[in-house]
Amino acid sequence: MPSQDETHAAEPGSSGSRRLSRRSLLQGAATAGAAGLAVTAMGATQARAATDRPAPGDGDQAKLPSGPIVLNVRDAKSGDIEVFYGTSQVQLQDKELTARIARAIG
Amino acid sequence: MSSHREAPEISKDPVADSTDLYAFVSAGNTVTLIANYIPLQLPAGGPNFYEFGDDVLYEIHVDNNGDGRADISYGFRFRTTVVNPGIFLYNTGPISSLTDPNWNRVQTYDLTVTSGGHTRTLGSNLPCPPCNIGPLSTPNYASLASAAVKNLAGGITVFAGQRADAFYVDLGAIFDLGDLRPFENLHAPLSSLKAVNGVNATDNLNVHSIAIQVPISALTVTGHPTIGVWTTASRQKARIYDADLGTYINAGPFVQVSRLGNPLVNEVLIPMGQKDLWNSLPPAGDQWFASSVTNPALAGLLNTLYPGSFTNVAGLATAGTKRTDLQAILLTGIPAGVINKTFTNYTGSVLADMLRLNTTIPPTAKPNMLGLLGGDPAGFPNGRRPGDDVVTIELRALAGLTYKYVDPTYSVDQAASAISDFNGAPALGSPPTGTFPYLGMPYCGYNYAPAS
Repeated sequence: MPSQDETHAAEPGSSGSRRLSRRSLLQGAATAGAAGLAVTAMGATQARAATDRPAPGDGDQAKLPSGPIVLNVRDAKSGDIEVFYGTSQVQLQDKELTARIARAIG
Repeated sequence: MSSHREAPEISKDPVADSTDLYAFVSAGNTVTLIANYIPLQLPAGGPNFYEFGDDVLYEIHVDNNGDGRADISYGFRFRTTVVNPGIFLYNTGPISSLTDPNWNRVQTYDLTVTSGGHTRTLGSNLPCPPCNIGPLSTPNYASLASAAVKNLAGGITVFAGQRADAFYVDLGAIFDLGDLRPFENLHAPLSSLKAVNGVNATDNLNVHSIAIQVPISALTVTGHPTIGVWTTASRQKARIYDADLGTYINAGPFVQVSRLGNPLVNEVLIPMGQKDLWNSLPPAGDQWFASSVTNPALAGLLNTLYPGSFTNVAGLATAGTKRTDLQAILLTGIPAGVINKTFTNYTGSVLADMLRLNTTIPPTAKPNMLGLLGGDPAGFPNGRRPGDDVVTIELRALAGLTYKYVDPTYSVDQAASAISDFNGAPALGSPPTGTFPYLGMPYCGYNYAPAS
């Protein structure tokens, strides 16, 4: 969103372009205690999810959109998915993808 | 209220909630269009003072051929810049100019116009003024607001920022079972009370206005001097809360969540179960809601609330008589020959709730707050000026006063020409002005005095 970009750009001390976030706070606290265990577990889950798909090559990376992408699975059975990106919306029919999503949340 | 909190969904999203819309012919052969958003602002509402939504698309639409669809749309997109996120203050000292570094939360906007499928930018990074905080923070508010009035190419003038709400209404009474304090002695459950003057519920409250003044020639096409105007707010279709960032992420196309043409249509005429749907549709689809306008539930209730005072209009409601007067006022414009031989703001047979303005009728130096009902064709329902008493005008129309224009044999109830929520217009602390952006200076937070 423009506002977020603007706020980000104006933020002093943001030379590392890393914004103060809930995740970075949690990760910062992960050196000890139960919170650390929770974050480790969360990180492991994310890592496993990431390895489920093939790593894109450099060429593919260049084509990846930079903003958030939001998916709405309207009907998992038929594979009907709405994809929202930027100010656009596309419809997908992908039973394989909805099946994978169903397995992930099941 | 005109359209403040008028539907269940939008009442939970005040940043996108339109409150009032004005359209009137102004000096120099121009039309001024004003859309207000963010209702019922307490002037002292800091430290996060009110501002437009960066994630909302605000638009004012003009239909210039009578089809209920936008031919010209002015779009406003806002952008907030936090100068120093390390402090909690809105300002760290007096704000003496729109570029003063003491102002910590600065809002600017881009203005576009869309016509014929093409969108072009009319202005970028245009400044909003800050909110009117108090004598220490915004010591010369008039100059700050004035600096935010910008003249653009094409004879366009624009402003976006906080202003005083010019709309007045006795909300506390009206929403208490249709009580009108000046007629309380006639109200069935309250008949033991004495008639008193109304209480202006929006007194001392602010709104956020987007105002644009455009040459008439840029809005009209040959043979169609009457324009239809409405405002919308839209949000992107997908919105999720990113707990990691502590903010919302938006994606997808913009979809309409708020609409306002004529005052009080969605608020008073559209039934509860259809209000959110109405807000999401263009005026061109209003034939689906036409029966709520031409057979208004409120007209039938008046005689129940005020027994014996509205028997004739109750008869129309009971008989299911189609209120073609209300259809003309709100959905088609008034054809020539209805009010008099010359007046018209008819746009055709398409039923569409738009604020219709015949741009050939010049402004008057002596406006009558009852507009057309008061013999002043430059006022509501021919457009709407900030000083027009639209509650009284629409109450009287609903009560049958205007039905005589479409059926000369109809006998108007005596009370219909007197009904109002005030004995005359209430005095406003910051009334509308005679110059752009026309709405009064916003009420100041420091001087705000809550009712005791």
